[in-house]
Amino acid sequence: MLRNRVNYLGLATMLAVVGLWEALVRSGVVEFQFLPAPSAFGPRIGSLVSSGDLVPAFLHTLQVTLLGWVLASTIGIVLGLLLGLSETAWRYSMASIEVMRAIPPVSLVPVALLVFGFSIRMELTIIIFVSAWPVLVNTIDGVRGVRAELVDVARMLRLSGLTRIRKIVLPAAAPAIVVGLRLALSLSLVLAVVGEMIGNPSGLGDALVKAQQALQPEEMFAYVFVIGLLGVGLNAALRYASARLLPSLAAGGGGVTSP
Amino acid sequence: MASPLRSRPELTSVPTSDVTGPAYESHNLSVDLDSSEGARRILTGVDLEVAQGEFVSVLGRSGTGKTTLLRVLGGLLDPTADSTVSFRGEPVEGPPEGAVFVFQNYAASLLPWRTIERNVDLGLEGKVSKPEMRQRTAEALALVGLADRAKDYPWRLSGGMQQRVQLARALAVRPSALLMDEPFGALDAMTKSSLQDELQRVQERTGATIVFVTHDIDEAVYLSDRIVVLEGSPATIGHRIDVDLPRPRHQLATKELPAFLKLRRAVYDTIVDVHGQAGDVA
Ligand SMILES: Nc1ncnc2c1ncn2[C@@H]1O[C@H](COP(=O)(O)OP(=O)(O)OP(=O)(O)O)[C@@H](O)[C@H]1O
Ligand SMILES: [Mg+2]
Repeated sequence: MLRNRVNYLGLATMLAVVGLWEALVRSGVVEFQFLPAPSAFGPRIGSLVSSGDLVPAFLHTLQVTLLGWVLASTIGIVLGLLLGLSETAWRYSMASIEVMRAIPPVSLVPVALLVFGFSIRMELTIIIFVSAWPVLVNTIDGVRGVRAELVDVARMLRLSGLTRIRKIVLPAAAPAIVVGLRLALSLSLVLAVVGEMIGNPSGLGDALVKAQQALQPEEMFAYVFVIGLLGVGLNAALRYASARLLPSLAAGGGGVTSP
Repeated sequence: MASPLRSRPELTSVPTSDVTGPAYESHNLSVDLDSSEGARRILTGVDLEVAQGEFVSVLGRSGTGKTTLLRVLGGLLDPTADSTVSFRGEPVEGPPEGAVFVFQNYAASLLPWRTIERNVDLGLEGKVSKPEMRQRTAEALALVGLADRAKDYPWRLSGGMQQRVQLARALAVRPSALLMDEPFGALDAMTKSSLQDELQRVQERTGATIVFVTHDIDEAVYLSDRIVVLEGSPATIGHRIDVDLPRPRHQLATKELPAFLKLRRAVYDTIVDVHGQAGDVA
């Protein structure tokens, strides 16, 4: 069963914040040269859509985010399975993983820029490099956390190696992997926008920077708002998909009653 | 609720083996397990022979190594190098074909993401055809009285029901040997006696060999052909008691036989004796 309840309290808080913002700017209590009220930039979204500026940028960012996320997730899951299942592989690679993880992702942007130039490949590279980590680490944790009892069940029923991975290891690790996938999706959007702001000149990130440079605060905030919406939408879609695919997760984390 | 064991579809018999020797045979079986002070010997010099079709119960106080012994017999745990363990004449190296477990920790032994039905399917998938799998799973679930919960998830079931799912999963495979670790410990008296009788009937029909760990002396005497008692630390088989009660056995009639009462008393004395000794040693 899916929890489709609307969080009314959360929604009310959000509306209150927007209302407060509107009130503060209008009443002149808060006054910055480039801080528009929500009522001022809200309609700009509509005009950006009709001018044809918004949709291609939106689609570009969406596409890069999803593509980067899928590639990062695939790499993370496959490597994670390998490292999680093989004690040897884990022992050899643990140190490198710890070191590589510690590199602040943004510091790789200039590197990727130099290697790939202003291109979609550069955007994808930084997305993958950053987003694969949470998937990898969570997959390893999930795989190593498969209960010994389930491994015994697989062994006594004589399931072959691949069958064991497919029927026992992956589903048992799925809750952990999904956590990784969700982190990765948020990161992918962030990195896509960052990549567009400083690297590949297209998409919402690029549009945002151009609006800022053109001293168009309403337009800038309109883009910020759209990026936020995209993030919320992607997260909700993934939440919905994982709840559909993992019924035991949706129904209370597979709460197994203990003996 | 009515007795969960109303319907009793026939499970056809296991492929009978052409091996005539014992089902399980262990010589000088010892097991070392890791402990905080390094390797610790848990079992030592266990010599056990279980004939095909025999029902052997393993008794012993908590922590003596009953589960450990079962795991070695089932190929889930390696004994020391100088031990020999064989199943139907073949040395046990990993879980052999035809022997299945009913684990002590039932809650952790079911896949929470699969329905009851699909949990029972697990041992059959890829080994029998789809229709046969459907039929065997349905039969096994009916046998343990869970036909109406087939589509439910295990974590929605009570502990006793979960244990019955494990039993169904084991029976669906039509094993030639069952290794059962306190399978009825979590059940109420009614369900327990129904399942005890069902297990006897399954064994009668299929000729399966059963090694059965329990704490319940009545249960051990009622079900077994032979009882072995693990005792000491490291543990070994300290007593072997033949249970030559007539079969088929009945919950009331058999338990009223003087021979039953005598055996029960003998086993009880053995266990109490063992406990006394262990207390002295400690
Ligand atoms: N995985 C393990 N690693 C190390 N030691 C273990 C392990 N499992 C069990 N032991 C130890 O082996 C001994 C025997 O345990 P075992 O589970 O076989 O006992 P048991 O007779 O089945 O007890 P119970 O009746 O409580 O189930 C215990 O002292 C226990 O601490
Ligand atoms: Mg035990």
